[in-house]
Amino acid sequence: MLAANFDWQFIWDHLPDFWEGLKQTLKVAAIGIAGSLAIGIVLGAARAHRVPVVSWLAATYVEVIRNTPILVQIFFIAGALPHFPGHPIRLEPFTIAWLAVVVWGGAYNTENFRAGFEAVPYRYREAGLALGFGRLGTFFNVTLPIGARIALPSTINTNASVLKNTSLLTAIGFAELTNTAYSLESESFKAAEVYFALGVTYLIVVWTLSGLTRVVERRLALPEAR
Amino acid sequence: MPDWVDPVAHYMLHEGLKNTIRIAVFAVAGSTLIGVLLGTLMTIRFLPLQSLLRLYVEVWRGLPIIVTIFLVYYAFPTTPYVHYRFGAFTGAAIGLTLWGSAQVAEATRGAVQSIPREQHEAAAALGFGWVGRHLFVILPQALRRLLPPLVSLIANIIQNTTIASLIGVTELLATGQRSIERLQFEAGANSHAFAIYTALLAVFFCISFPLTRLARFLERRLV
Repeated sequence: MLAANFDWQFIWDHLPDFWEGLKQTLKVAAIGIAGSLAIGIVLGAARAHRVPVVSWLAATYVEVIRNTPILVQIFFIAGALPHFPGHPIRLEPFTIAWLAVVVWGGAYNTENFRAGFEAVPYRYREAGLALGFGRLGTFFNVTLPIGARIALPSTINTNASVLKNTSLLTAIGFAELTNTAYSLESESFKAAEVYFALGVTYLIVVWTLSGLTRVVERRLALPEAR
Repeated sequence: MPDWVDPVAHYMLHEGLKNTIRIAVFAVAGSTLIGVLLGTLMTIRFLPLQSLLRLYVEVWRGLPIIVTIFLVYYAFPTTPYVHYRFGAFTGAAIGLTLWGSAQVAEATRGAVQSIPREQHEAAAALGFGWVGRHLFVILPQALRRLLPPLVSLIANIIQNTTIASLIGVTELLATGQRSIERLQFEAGANSHAFAIYTALLAVFFCISFPLTRLARFLERRLV
């Protein structure tokens, strides 16, 4: 029991609103996690195998994204690209939303997977080549299955961060969970109730995601790490 | 350089960057003090205390920082028993401190636990109590492991001060956005959004890049 003037009924009545916002958050987060994992594997491989040009571009991409605030990146996509000199780029709010988190998470996952692929002992790759696999064959049959599983624990943090960072999309008015709460508060003035419910919702979702990915991690862990 | 650049740069650096650094200094200092204290306490084997500290860490690490800041700034004034209204600057600094202290606490716990037990025993044999043992023997050694995450924390907190712009603090991002609006108002359709947002990215990069490099260097050297 918090106190008599804490309006539980208000939270209960507005659960459907929270659910609408949560659906948008989960949708963007799902695209964000999938997309950033894909970018991470491709560019991480390019970095680990020092593919000319691609590796250098990937390193620049990683440093730029990791050393600038994601909020400024979101505003850059939403507010600066439409004024790109000579060639304005206007995107749908939903496109901006998933693009921002994919680009951000991709940079972090590139580092995660680069470290994972580099941790695969060189003799494993030599063994793959000796068995007659080409360079790509060695990557898909040796480096990827082992290196991705080494990288898995560090990608878990990135996944959770991608989910949490979708909350910043409220700044451009994208109607995800935080934005829903913000609008609800500004029309009802029930700040304590709204943000308390918002915090609890995020904790449930973030903790569930971390728990689920930890189960997946344990299932996929390398035999010697089990 | 076009005419508009000079006053805008002056405003962004003297008003915006100053506030960004001010918030960051408070948040980094607060996070380090609270985080090291809580992280050290987390190594005590006393279940109620351990679960309480674990809850603190998991809650503030689990919440997006923007939600923490909204809680402190918008929700606290109407929360029963709290009813406390912070200014936007203080609210942002507290929100960042809650998040940062949770990060530091987790890192400190790991660093303290990595110190061999013999060090505790030797310090105890020399007559140090729990506090003296940790303050003068364990933490100075744990600092080696703690330094790289602390340096990355500074970079992260500086980046995350941009969230303060959403509750109306005129930090770097907010001053940039106000400049864009003012220029658009004065010059009509001729928008400087692209130039100013690019400049914002560049300024943050110049601050953050040396810090993340330093963190990586320390990690390689010290651990």
